[in-house]
Amino acid sequence: MLRLALTQVLSVLVAVVATLTVVFFAVRALPGDAAVILGGLETQTEQVEALRGELGLDLPLSVQYVRYWADLLRGDLGTSLRERRPVGEMLRERLWVTLSLAGLAFSLALVSGLTVGLLAGRRTGTTGDGVALGLTTVGLTLPEFWLGFLLILLFSVQLGWFPLIGLPVEGDLGVRLWHLILPAVTLAVPRAAQIARLARVRLLEEASADYVRTARSKGVSPRALTRHVAANALPGLLPLLALELGGLLTGTIVVEQVFGLPGLGSTLLGAIAARDYPVVQGVAVLAVLVYVLVNWLADVLQMLADPRLRYE
Amino acid sequence: MPLTRHRFALALCLVVLGSVGLATARSFTLATAAQPDALDPHRTSATSSFQVTKSLYDTLVEPDQDGVIVPSLAESWSFSPDGLTLSFVVRDGVRFHDGSVLTANDVAASVRRLASAGSPKADEFEMVVDVSAPDERTLVLTLSRPAPALLESLASGWGAVLPEALIDAGHDFGNRPMGSGPFVMREWVRDSFVRLTSNPDYFRGAPEVDEVVIRFVADPAVQWQGLRAGAFDVAMDVASVDWPSVRADDRFVLEQGPSGLALVAALNNRRPYLDDVRVRRALNLAVDAETVMEVAYGGGLTIGTFMEAGSPWLPESVEPYPYDPEASRELLRAAGVPEAWRLEMVLPQPYEPHVVAGQMIQDYLREVAVRVDVRVVEWGVWLGEVFRGAHDFDVTVIGHSGKLDASGRLSGYGHPEATYSGFDDPQVAAWIDRAGVIADAEERRELYALALARIHEEAPFIFLGTPFTTFVRAAHVNGFWVTPLLDTFDMREVVMD
Repeated sequence: MLRLALTQVLSVLVAVVATLTVVFFAVRALPGDAAVILGGLETQTEQVEALRGELGLDLPLSVQYVRYWADLLRGDLGTSLRERRPVGEMLRERLWVTLSLAGLAFSLALVSGLTVGLLAGRRTGTTGDGVALGLTTVGLTLPEFWLGFLLILLFSVQLGWFPLIGLPVEGDLGVRLWHLILPAVTLAVPRAAQIARLARVRLLEEASADYVRTARSKGVSPRALTRHVAANALPGLLPLLALELGGLLTGTIVVEQVFGLPGLGSTLLGAIAARDYPVVQGVAVLAVLVYVLVNWLADVLQMLADPRLRYE
Repeated sequence: MPLTRHRFALALCLVVLGSVGLATARSFTLATAAQPDALDPHRTSATSSFQVTKSLYDTLVEPDQDGVIVPSLAESWSFSPDGLTLSFVVRDGVRFHDGSVLTANDVAASVRRLASAGSPKADEFEMVVDVSAPDERTLVLTLSRPAPALLESLASGWGAVLPEALIDAGHDFGNRPMGSGPFVMREWVRDSFVRLTSNPDYFRGAPEVDEVVIRFVADPAVQWQGLRAGAFDVAMDVASVDWPSVRADDRFVLEQGPSGLALVAALNNRRPYLDDVRVRRALNLAVDAETVMEVAYGGGLTIGTFMEAGSPWLPESVEPYPYDPEASRELLRAAGVPEAWRLEMVLPQPYEPHVVAGQMIQDYLREVAVRVDVRVVEWGVWLGEVFRGAHDFDVTVIGHSGKLDASGRLSGYGHPEATYSGFDDPQVAAWIDRAGVIADAEERRELYALALARIHEEAPFIFLGTPFTTFVRAAHVNGFWVTPLLDTFDMREVVMD
């Protein structure tokens, strides 16, 4: 058990170091740097060089890399090249936006996806099942930027039920939630469709298992049977849910752009465009932490749900 | 119930309170795609930053709506006869947003900061050898040579005056701007909005509107929908496909004025065949610039040299190149351009109009048997590999923003290493260099006219045109204008009926 835990911790550490190293060199491999971009079209070459020196971009890559780890291990994420303030402060301001958006979207996707999936899985071959399948296909294929714009057109412009874009930074929780509903729905739709389809398939697979046939022949009520089937089928969804939760982070990038939300996604996009290396790296640290945490949580939940895994 | 004095007073209070509540704050919301990188005017060169700092800071002088330099923080100014001293009389009684009084010492500290390392515009002040403030209202700049464009430089966004005490304290102006301008910074959420409130102590009197919100909206379609939903009062980037709907809707007005941009398809003059003036002229003749302007940029005026249409610096003799594919083919043949010649066109991805224009140029060049391979790259790549660095391109499409003085647009041209086009012409370089260091206005005008006429002849670019600055405003909004050439937002006179 201890050895298992140790290997796991070790593999996580290797993954974290490898990811952050790749991100460190990948952003620097992009043509152009922060000084060139801040300089734009209107700055003479000498001034761009001066800026490069001021931002520490003229140092050898190896020096920058060592400094990065030295700072990171002390909990210092560095200073934004573009905004010239601590990356930690920037991420703290943005994190809650993305977390509430992702949390809301995930809850929506989970509830609606499971509901549709379970209903469809119980009545395979019926019209309802067909409709559900069709809807999930549409849900999966709609690009987020397009779906988001359609929702804005219908609910914000035509009906005026929801605010157009943006998010108040402070103030009433209800108002902020109201701003987050359309973006969350946009994010949730493809994920709900994915969950619904998988839940349906898992139910179908499980329903053809031997114990179900035996139970049915012994006259177990369909209701009780569904409970048993679901209890066996659903833990199989956990790895997918973990993936979806992680994938939400990338989804928020698009949705935050469409709805003008000041979250981590817009920060990351802006930082890549500006070659603001410390900020890109800071977001990468957060993303790695979230992935590790979510996968670990999925493992634990799966162990709790499936006694066999606990005793192996 | 008898109306006692107390009840009367109470009723009066309620009426007063009620009317205060009714007179809600007049808030003006502007939607724009480009957002500032930093709000420290001495540490940025982005128009999108100056568009916001224009409302927060003041400059000694500023361009009026016709582009003429007029007093602002300076009541008056004068050059010494030899052109080596520039003195300003600083306005009395101006206050920064923190309440401190603005004096010539603050101006001096600002000019020093602007001229020192770390300032992107330091080169425009390299001739300033001394800055002094003999008294609270006098500023004297001592110059090593005549600086004919210095006043224009001080009138631009980067000429902003910051409080000396905060400069000395190393204040973070980039995130916490502090000036004397018509509006005060209240809130800045990056990627989302900037909220400013009117400065009651502004030296020209408080602006009409109480609050300004600048919203950063990347999607032009959302900008237009936001206008329709009443979320925005002015939108800067409504796409030209939506202009017919704007014109058909009497709740909105489409405003168009000349901009300061010179749009060009820059040619890499270092590359084979593009180093031949006949080929460069041929490419100019092959492209119907008027149609490109119409389709890609929603209209504008064509240009025949490297200066925006309508500029006072333009020599009268210069006309745009005509669209003449026949003459173009002839010239290409004469220059011995081989059949298999292929051009690589690199286009900056975030600027949709440039990409459209590039694709149109690709089609036009096919008509004269020149093949073009298009590569669309991200902005940072464009800046790092095309504009600077290895200059890895044959053709690219870009707009050069307006400058108050011709030197801002032209300095360096003719020196092959100084510009991305690699344009190599010692004569043009000599004219432009000289015009940058002499004070005589008439002689400068002549030198620039000579240079611009020769740039037309030498055709280092395919000249396209000057687009209109276009924005859409709600019909009830008046007094919003865009500063000529600098393209910054002026919201001091915005009135909402």
